[in-house]
Amino acid sequence: MSDLLEVKNLKKYFPIKGGILKKKIGNIYAVDDISLSVKAGESVGLVGESGCGKTTLGRTIARLYEATSGSITFNNRNITKLKYNDLKSTKREIQVIFQDPYESLNSRHTIGSILEEPFQIHKIGNKKERVSEVKSLLKKVGLPEDAYNRYPHEFSGGQRQRIGIARAIALKPKMIICDEPVSALDVSIQSQVLNLLLELQEEMKLAYLFIAHDLAVVKHISDRVAVMYLGKIVEFTDADSIYENPMHPYTKSLISAIPIPDPSVKREKTILEGDVPSPSNPPKGCRFNTRCPEVFDKCRKVEPDLINISKSETNHLVACHLVNK
Amino acid sequence: MIKLNPLTIKKIRRFKSIKRGYYSLILLTIMILVSIFAELFINSRALIVKYEGNYYFPTYSNMISGKTFGLGENYDYETSYRDLATKFDTENSDNWLLMPIIPFNPYEVDLKNDSYAPFPPSLKDKHFLGTDTQGRDIIARVVYGFRIAIFFSLFLLFVTYIVGITIGCLMGYTGKLFDLFFQRIIEIWSNVPFLYIVIIVASIMTPNFILLVLIVSFFGWTNMTWIMRTITYKEKEREYVLAAKSLGASNLRIIFKHIIPNTIAIIVTFAPFSISSGIVTLTSLDYLGFGLPHPTPSWGELLNQSWENLDAWWISTTVVTAMIITLTTVTFVGEAVREALDPKLHTIYE
Repeated sequence: MSDLLEVKNLKKYFPIKGGILKKKIGNIYAVDDISLSVKAGESVGLVGESGCGKTTLGRTIARLYEATSGSITFNNRNITKLKYNDLKSTKREIQVIFQDPYESLNSRHTIGSILEEPFQIHKIGNKKERVSEVKSLLKKVGLPEDAYNRYPHEFSGGQRQRIGIARAIALKPKMIICDEPVSALDVSIQSQVLNLLLELQEEMKLAYLFIAHDLAVVKHISDRVAVMYLGKIVEFTDADSIYENPMHPYTKSLISAIPIPDPSVKREKTILEGDVPSPSNPPKGCRFNTRCPEVFDKCRKVEPDLINISKSETNHLVACHLVNK
Repeated sequence: MIKLNPLTIKKIRRFKSIKRGYYSLILLTIMILVSIFAELFINSRALIVKYEGNYYFPTYSNMISGKTFGLGENYDYETSYRDLATKFDTENSDNWLLMPIIPFNPYEVDLKNDSYAPFPPSLKDKHFLGTDTQGRDIIARVVYGFRIAIFFSLFLLFVTYIVGITIGCLMGYTGKLFDLFFQRIIEIWSNVPFLYIVIIVASIMTPNFILLVLIVSFFGWTNMTWIMRTITYKEKEREYVLAAKSLGASNLRIIFKHIIPNTIAIIVTFAPFSISSGIVTLTSLDYLGFGLPHPTPSWGELLNQSWENLDAWWISTTVVTAMIITLTTVTFVGEAVREALDPKLHTIYE
């Protein structure tokens, strides 16, 4: 199976500007040299704590942000530098589900016009066809048809997220970037929305890039998981091995923080100390060295490469000097 | 019928529930309507004339010369309907005419042989609030002056908002050099002494209505631009705009279908306050003598007269009362609009 999406050495720096002429005086290294790939129909989880660049990576792939350097290849087409007109056909195939269902729907439009918009933008069908298309979309995501004439504020968070999902699948995309789609929802609603996403994936053969900070959620949905820290991927492998055999100290501490719904189970928790360093001034060497419990000299000097350590068929990429001695 | 967003309906209902603002809006609307049709109430032309079996409606028709009504062979100019009324009265014929309540137009000088203007209020002369220093009816001056002031403000509002929304939106949306350039322009612009420029322009040429609107909006566009820039900057980073972008929406579509509708509340909130400041601007320019040329009816000029003739209390009382009423109603409307659109009332926490 070939890769649907291939990201190579992607960088996205946000300039810090200052002074009267707004000169660049620094950079926020939000996404720093990231490579990953997503196969058709596969879901890749992307985890990491707040501010590590997950959302920026997702938005850069969706071309909402311009990449600083590197390349994004979608469906064998390099889309990194495409201009608006050339990009339009690709935009049909990559869609985004946003984190906050209260923010991502325009409160001045009815659900009908929100869901019709994708068809209007891509000039698909006439008014009548669009309306029936929208109604079938509503049905697909489990909302009543009479939602058509109502406004976003009349719906609950979970329902709104369903509307966001309906909008994302309207154009029958090949890939959806889910930017923390459930983290704003109640736990009981989370599983409903996740199951809806899984059903849709089955039905429409969708590929997901699933961004989350909740490892339990990612476990439920992903085939492979990438762990990000401060703009870089530190570990990338299939979902089972990351939970059972985490190699990077950061991944280990994340896994140990997943709550286990059984009070009798005792386990050793690795609790990280300190805060994430500022992405405008990342530490030298391994970026995790300021908080790593197993840090040694080399970590402070040399930046580790992301290296495959697996001996079996599936790749297990880790960027840590402990592993790659 | 346009289908209104239930939130909009809620806001309108909220506005109506603020009685002070709601009644002020009604009063203001009546005042504007009366001033638009002021010719029907305050005019030197008769409303209806019946002469030799024919009906004439001079108010909105062309000039009708005195010859038509048999006022003499050489009467080729505009009929003096007040004289005509006296004539009809003495003739005791079927001919009659109906004059407006105040039978003077704002330009008309009504002098007396035995004394000097300003004349105090007099029911007999039909100058219910007296005349100004040149013998022109005060009510007529005030009402026609109001019409000019309010339309001046509305035009000003329109021009500055069009310019402000366009440039502000572009600044906020495109950012980068365009934004930087206009930011500096606005900073310089808002430090140019507006009054001196108007004085200079007024000394070179006599400003007419359109020119004055243009001059004032030339310096007035910066406020709205600044506000729009800020809102657009904020709105364009919100997720619904990103969602539209990820669907492949064009920039124009995003600006017109998403960003501007979401800024309406703020634009509307500022409008009444802009109107009152427009009225104040025109009045103060007229007061200083750099506004519209004489003999255009204007509140500023009346204020100036009242200042110079403090013993003619009817001038100052009328014009100051008129200003207070207008400015407070406009401000009350503005307050109520602001209150009704307060986002805190319409946010839903779940």
